[in-house]
Amino acid sequence: MIKVGFYQGCCFQGQDAHMFETMKEVFRMIDVELELLEETTCCGGNTIDEENRKLSYAINARNIALAEAKGLDMLISCNTCYMVIAKAKNALDNNKKLRDEINELLKEEGLEYRGTNKIYHLLDFFRDVVGYDRIRKAVKRPLKGWKVGAYYGCHVLYPKHTAIDDGDNPSSLQEVLKALGAEVIDDYEAKDTCCGYHAFFTDKTMTMKKLNRILGSVKKAGVDIVATPCPLCFKSFDIYQLQMENPPMVPSAFLPELMAYAFGLDKRKSGLGHHLIEVKKE
Amino acid sequence: METVTLKVFRFDPEKDKIPYYRDYEVPVEGTLLNALLYIKENLDPTISFRAFCRSEVCGSCSVRVNGKTKLACKTPMKELVKTWKGKPLRIDPLNHMKVIRDLVVDIDKPIEKMKTLIPWLVPDPRVVPSDPRHESIIYPEEMELYKDQIHCMLCFSCYSACEAVEDNERYRGPFAFSKAYRFQVDRRDIETAKEKRIRYSISGGLWSCVQCQKCIHVCPKGVKPAEDIQNLRGQAVKKGFTDKPGAKKLKHYVDWIYATGQINRLYLPEEVYGNKEARKKLTEEYERMGIEVWEVPKPTKGLMKFRDIYLEILSREDKALELDFSHVRKIDKMVSDIFKADICTIVDRAHQNNRKSKGLIGKLKGLLGGSDD
Ligand code: SF4
Ligand code: SF4
Ligand code: FES
Repeated sequence: MIKVGFYQGCCFQGQDAHMFETMKEVFRMIDVELELLEETTCCGGNTIDEENRKLSYAINARNIALAEAKGLDMLISCNTCYMVIAKAKNALDNNKKLRDEINELLKEEGLEYRGTNKIYHLLDFFRDVVGYDRIRKAVKRPLKGWKVGAYYGCHVLYPKHTAIDDGDNPSSLQEVLKALGAEVIDDYEAKDTCCGYHAFFTDKTMTMKKLNRILGSVKKAGVDIVATPCPLCFKSFDIYQLQMENPPMVPSAFLPELMAYAFGLDKRKSGLGHHLIEVKKE
Repeated sequence: METVTLKVFRFDPEKDKIPYYRDYEVPVEGTLLNALLYIKENLDPTISFRAFCRSEVCGSCSVRVNGKTKLACKTPMKELVKTWKGKPLRIDPLNHMKVIRDLVVDIDKPIEKMKTLIPWLVPDPRVVPSDPRHESIIYPEEMELYKDQIHCMLCFSCYSACEAVEDNERYRGPFAFSKAYRFQVDRRDIETAKEKRIRYSISGGLWSCVQCQKCIHVCPKGVKPAEDIQNLRGQAVKKGFTDKPGAKKLKHYVDWIYATGQINRLYLPEEVYGNKEARKKLTEEYERMGIEVWEVPKPTKGLMKFRDIYLEILSREDKALELDFSHVRKIDKMVSDIFKADICTIVDRAHQNNRKSKGLIGKLKGLLGGSDD
């Protein structure tokens, strides 16, 4: 059993709290114990940086320090949280003055950022720690005949210094989907288009145009469902899609949900049964 | 000798009705620019592309390889063959600009767009001596603020890769915002020019950036336009341009994260767009599916100390917004109404090792993923 600290960010709380239980179960099936890092806070969502970049670094120094205090590496299941925390880690590891200044503040809580532990996103965790074989072995209900569109989302591929895969021609998502037995579709035209999630509250028309491109393109490619390792891209697809003028009603999934379903959990339990755009494929 | 096929975009508007691709077999050696020169010298002298310095300085040789923007003289052929596993490499001109011929594009439009953001110094007479024989001193700590931005060589890689350019005609372009920001933090530049740059940035699409980070990814010079755009947004809000949705979103983040350690997606539509219906609709939708919805995120255990850190940083640093304590108190009240206690008590109580806790607090613990049976 591998134990790892789980950073939930804002995505597994409130209306999505049920997803954490599913994640725990999915990971147990591939011999990983998720220990919830309870005292962590929102990473700032790449928005607090607009207020002040050091505040973003401090918040995330604290988040990482909470994992380090438990002697755990940190698993982050959101592309944006991953990138924001990785950027902070980068800054802290390369700037002693910044690290000292922030550690002085963390002292009050008995915390210290040391930079000793790793941070992972789902995709590199599956590739480097779990291994695709273990995923393959946990599959009880292969996604045979499912045409799954692979959609990465931006913040795991760019920028280079925090990316977890080759930004030009990545493969880690296709590998997981193949291990689940799905037919992977990864060469549709808009595969690199941004999902537009982060523009929804700054310039909504951008989000709608992005969704139009991506969903039109996957529909044309004939997919049954789009799978993404990012809960925000997933929200863009499942929630914001409905705000389009003529929603193409393309179903989507957050990667762990598809894993849960392939590992034998039922539609509801896997989370697939809770989508606003119904997943009809069995 | 190892070779690979380049499928090169060809188009001569004077001769060709539509563009086409021509295949060339080139050695897997040196850089992509070497390969293009190899074609011109040995295979086909009619091919057109731009290049000059061959050493990552002039910024003229950017093209796209299988859709991904690359500076030709910086990109080793071996690396491309490895990335694309020996498959043919499709070479296209940069995106978002008119093709003049083959791989040569017209850069006038992005240049004109950039100029609207006043990418030059407008000297402040109080700082810059009017006598040209006197020096205007720049200290190293000042340089620190724009040491990356000044390396931009106008290669337009970021403009080609940009998601906002793609879907907003008016969008000035990543590099243009970096150029503008460089002068926003220059002490010698006059305040009235800074104010104008912000105004023009906003009308030039400052809030349309989707923060995809592609500009940072493709920049051969280490410029970080996406981060400069965040910096400019901060400056815009600080200067009082707070009517845009983006500014309200920032306020939501600043206040809610301080108050609860989390943002609140149920209240975002209301606080940004005044859309009160969204919260109700989303809540109903989830309830219909049997998911219990909590109006406020769980208060984290270290919340009070987290607040101290947050405040301390904000008190020391230059920031876009002041914390809105009346908003924070409102949020605190919502939390205490739901959990029937004041926020400090909730934070303490919710995390006591009391396995018998009942009711709302018990449910709260359930949300934390801890067993509370
Ligand atoms: S982060 Fe913004 S400026 Fe940079 S490429 Fe993406 S949309 Fe364009
Ligand atoms: S910011 Fe970088 S990618 Fe963009 S034009 Fe300047 S040098 Fe080129
Ligand atoms: S030829 Fe000058 S930058 Fe490539």
